[in-house]
Amino acid sequence: MALSNSFDFGRPQPSFAEKLRNINWGLVLLLTVLAGVGFATLYSAANGSWQPWAAKQALRYGVSLAIMLGVAMIDVRFWLRYHSAYVFYGVAMVLLLFVMLHGRLGMGAQRWIDLGIIQLQPSEVMKIALVLVLARYFHGVPPEEIGRPTRLVWPLVLVLVPAVLVLKQPDLGTAMMLVMSGGAMFFLAGVRWWKFAIVLAGGAGAVPVAWRFLRDYQKNRIYTFLDPESDPLGAGYHSLQSKIAIGSGGVFGKGFLQGSQAHLSFLPERQTDFIFTMLAEEWGLVGGLVLLALYSLVFIYGFAIAFRCRNQFGRLLALGITVNFFLYVFINIAMVMGLIPVVGVPLPLISYGGTAMLTVMFGMGLLMSVYVHRDTRIGRFSESDG
Amino acid sequence: MKPGLPERDDNPCRPRHFRPAACAPAPLEGPAKQALETSHTRLIIAGALFCLAFLVIGARLVEVAGFKGGETRLARLHVAERPEVARADIVDRNGVLLATTLDSPSLYADPKLIKDPEAVAQKLAALLPDVGESEIAARLAADRSFVWIKRQLTPSQEFEVNRLGIPGLQFQTEGRRVYPKGNLAAHVVGYADLDGKGLAGIERGFDDILRDRHEPVELSLDVRVQYILRDEIARQVAEFSAIGGMGIVMDVTSGEVVAMVSLPDFDPNTPGSANEETIFDRATLGTYEMGSTFKIFNTAMALDDGIATLSSSYDATNPIRIGRFVIHDDHAQRRWLTVPEIFEYSSNIGSAKMAIEAGTDRQKDFLGRLGLLKAPSFELPEIGAPLVPSPWRPINTMTIAFGHGLSVSPLQMATAVSAVVNGGILRRATLIKRPAGYAPSGQQVLSPRTSEEMRRLLRLVVERGTGKLANAPGYLVGGKTGTAEKVTGGRYERHGLLSSFIGVFPITEPRYLVMVSIDEPQGTRESHGFATGGWVAAPAVGRVVARMAPLMGIPPVDEDSPEIRRSLLVDSLSPQGRKIAAN
Repeated sequence: MALSNSFDFGRPQPSFAEKLRNINWGLVLLLTVLAGVGFATLYSAANGSWQPWAAKQALRYGVSLAIMLGVAMIDVRFWLRYHSAYVFYGVAMVLLLFVMLHGRLGMGAQRWIDLGIIQLQPSEVMKIALVLVLARYFHGVPPEEIGRPTRLVWPLVLVLVPAVLVLKQPDLGTAMMLVMSGGAMFFLAGVRWWKFAIVLAGGAGAVPVAWRFLRDYQKNRIYTFLDPESDPLGAGYHSLQSKIAIGSGGVFGKGFLQGSQAHLSFLPERQTDFIFTMLAEEWGLVGGLVLLALYSLVFIYGFAIAFRCRNQFGRLLALGITVNFFLYVFINIAMVMGLIPVVGVPLPLISYGGTAMLTVMFGMGLLMSVYVHRDTRIGRFSESDG
Repeated sequence: MKPGLPERDDNPCRPRHFRPAACAPAPLEGPAKQALETSHTRLIIAGALFCLAFLVIGARLVEVAGFKGGETRLARLHVAERPEVARADIVDRNGVLLATTLDSPSLYADPKLIKDPEAVAQKLAALLPDVGESEIAARLAADRSFVWIKRQLTPSQEFEVNRLGIPGLQFQTEGRRVYPKGNLAAHVVGYADLDGKGLAGIERGFDDILRDRHEPVELSLDVRVQYILRDEIARQVAEFSAIGGMGIVMDVTSGEVVAMVSLPDFDPNTPGSANEETIFDRATLGTYEMGSTFKIFNTAMALDDGIATLSSSYDATNPIRIGRFVIHDDHAQRRWLTVPEIFEYSSNIGSAKMAIEAGTDRQKDFLGRLGLLKAPSFELPEIGAPLVPSPWRPINTMTIAFGHGLSVSPLQMATAVSAVVNGGILRRATLIKRPAGYAPSGQQVLSPRTSEEMRRLLRLVVERGTGKLANAPGYLVGGKTGTAEKVTGGRYERHGLLSSFIGVFPITEPRYLVMVSIDEPQGTRESHGFATGGWVAAPAVGRVVARMAPLMGIPPVDEDSPEIRRSLLVDSLSPQGRKIAAN
C-alpha cells in the first residue's frame, strides 16, 4: 500500500483512495460468502463447536483478507520489476528444497515447514510463484517468437523442476496442479496446438515409466479408484465412505449438524480434503450445486478480469490464478465423488488449513491487482528475460 | 527489467485511468493486435473447457446424491461394501440351518488418533483375551490410519469397548459365519475364515457357489439322522475307549448321504480350536483296510461272474499257507462250507479260495466297476484316494477277498455296498439334496439277481451270523461285520482294530445303508473282551436303524410272515450250519 505508492513509474499513480474504490468488492463479498460456508461446515464437522476448527479458520480468513487487499493495492508492475517474480519463485524453490531436507513429517509426506504460528506448505507457495514467473516470462516474449521451440525451454524448466520436487515429497495432487496450470499459461501465451498434442502424446507414453516411480500408496489409490469395492476397508475406504455420505444426503440433505455419516466419524479427514462430503450430506444435492455455482462465479470474475485486461502480463496472471483456483475446486470435488483417484487437494476457502487459504487469497489479491490496474499498458521488455 | 525504464504506455485515457467505461482503447496494429486476438480466443477456449469440467462434476453430483433417494442408494452401497453378506446359507434336506451369516462388529483403530497406545492396548487386552497386549500395542504403533484390532466381537465385547470411550476406536459391521449346529455336521459343512472364504467341507467345495448364490444350498443331510448317528457312534467310542469312529447313512436308491459322522470332531464356530486329529474327516479322507465287510464284494463277484452259486462249497478245513503268510478263520468250522456259510461265518479261507478261483483280473475288474480302485468324485474337497496294491499278486487277491491289502474310504465302501444291494446300480455319492423320488442314472455293475442273492446273504448274517446285534426288530436289517487289524509300521496289530458293520434296511426292498466303524476299540466285560465289528459296530447300527426308521417313514413289518420268510429263504444251508447259527 504505502509501499506501492513509493514506486515511481514515471507517471502519476492513482491515489490510495482511488485504488480502494476500484477494488472489485463484488468478488470480495463472494469470497467471504464462500469462506462463511466453510466456517459453517467446520462448525458442523466439530459437532456444533467453534473449536477446534471453525474459530481458527475465521481468524485465518481475516488475516488472509487483509493480505489479499494489500496485494491488490500493489501495482502489478511491481512483479515485473527487480526480478521480483523470480525472487518469489526462488524463495519458493528454496523452501521446497528445505522441506525435502528438514521438513516435518506430516501425514506420511514431507510437505510442511513449521513456522510456529503456521505450518507453511512450500508447494502451495510455489503455485503462486509459478504463475507469476510464467506470466512475466511470456509477457516478455514477442508474439512472433512464441513459435520458436528455444523460447519454450526455459519456461518448461520453470514448471518441471518444482513439479518433480513436489512429486518426490510425494504430493501427486499438487504436482498435477503445477503442471496443469503451467500448461494453461503456455496455452494462453499462444503456443501452438500441435505442441500440446506432442506433449500429451509424450505424457501418455510416459505413463508406464511414471508408474514405476509412484509410491505404493499412490498406486493403491489408483487401483482403488478403478475398483473401490475391491478394498472397502483399506485404501478404498475414503472413497466409498465419501460416496455413501453424499448419497445419504439426497436432494435436500439431512440439515445442518445432522449428517450422520460424517458426524459418526465414518469419514476420515472430514475437516480437510473431504469437507465437500460433509457439506453435501448436510445440504444435499441442492447445497452442493449452490456451492458449485458460487465457485463458478469466482471463475467468471477471473475470466472477465483476464479478458478485460489490456496488458499481456495481467491477462496471463489473471488466467493463471483462475486456473489454479479452478483446479483446486475441480480436483477436490472430482476426487470426493470418485471421478478421479484420491489426491490431497483441499477445497479452496472451505477446507481447514492455513497455507491453502493464504495461497488462494494471495492469488485473489493478485487477481484484484490486475483488475485495479487493468488499463495499465505495460511494454514488452527489449531484452530477453531468459 | 531495470527500475526506471521508461514506460511505453501511452494510454490516452490516462487522466481517467480508473474509469474504463469512458475509456476508448487505442486501436492496436499488426502483431500486437493479433496477439491480443489469439489470447482472447484462447481465453474463451479455456473458459469453455472449464465450463465442461464443471458440468461433468455437477452431473456427477446429481448422480451420486441422486434422485433415487439417498437412503436406498446408501443401502445399496452398504451391500456392495460387504460382499460376504451375500454368502449363501447351508441348510439340511428339511431346511434346518447349518451355516448362515450374521452381522457382527469388528473393531479397528486409527492409530493416528490414538494418543496413548500403551494404555489403550492394556485396556483392550483386558476385554479381548485372545489378542495379546503387545500385539495390540504393535498394531496401534503402525504408521497407518487403519488397523484391525479384532474381527467379529461378541455384542457384549462391543459394549465394553464402547464403554471405554477411547477416540480412534471404531467398529465395522462384518458378516460372521455362524454354524448353529456346532459340531454336529462339522466335517460335512466345514468352515469359512473371517473374510468369508471357505476353508473346509462344503464351505470350501462350494465356495464359489456360496459366494454367488442367494438361496441356501440344500444338503442331502438330515440333521435328525445326523444326530442319531453321531450319538450312537459317540456312545460306542466312549464305551469301548476307542480313538475315534465314523459312520455314514446313505439312501441306496439315490446315492444321497443322509448322515455322515467323523469323531473326534470340532466346532466350526471356532475352527482355531480344532487340531489335525479332530479336523481329519475319517469318513471321506481316511482310507482303511475294511476287513470282512469286503466279503460282500468277494461273494457278489463270485456269484455275478458265475464262479460260484449259493450251493457251491469250498474246503475251509485247514488254514492256507503261502510262504510266510497263513490265512485262518476267526470262527473256524474246520470243514467244507457253502457260499452262504462262508459269508455267514465270515470265513477267510473260503473267501480266499473263491477269489483265487475267480482270479486276479476278475477281482480287479469287479472292484474297479464298484469304484473302489480310484478316488471318488464328491462335493467335499477332503477326499482320500484308495491305496491299491502294486503289483497285484495272487496273495493280494486272496487277502483282498477278506478286506486286507486294499485301503478304501468309508464313503467308497458305502457307495459300493449300495450298488450291491439296490439291484446292482452304482450311483455317485452326493451331499446335495435330490428331488424326491428322483433316482439319478447310474451304471449297472452287477445283475439284479446277484443283488437279490446278496440281500438274502446279508440278512442271514444278522439273523443268525456274526451280525445278530445289529438286528432292529421289524426293520429287517441285513449286513456284514468286519474287523480289520490295522497296519502300524508295516505290521498288523492284534489289538489295533477297525471294527465295522455295514447294514442295509429294509432288506426286502433296501432304502438306507447304515455304516458304522469304530477305530481301535478295546474289549469290555459286557463284550466278553471282544472288540470285533459284531460286538462294537453292529449294536450301534441296530440302534440307529431303530431310531431313524420311524422318522424316515419306514413302517416295521412282521419278520415271521410267510412272504418275507420265503423271500429271504436261503435254501442251501447245511443242517450243521443251521445248528451252529442257532447258538
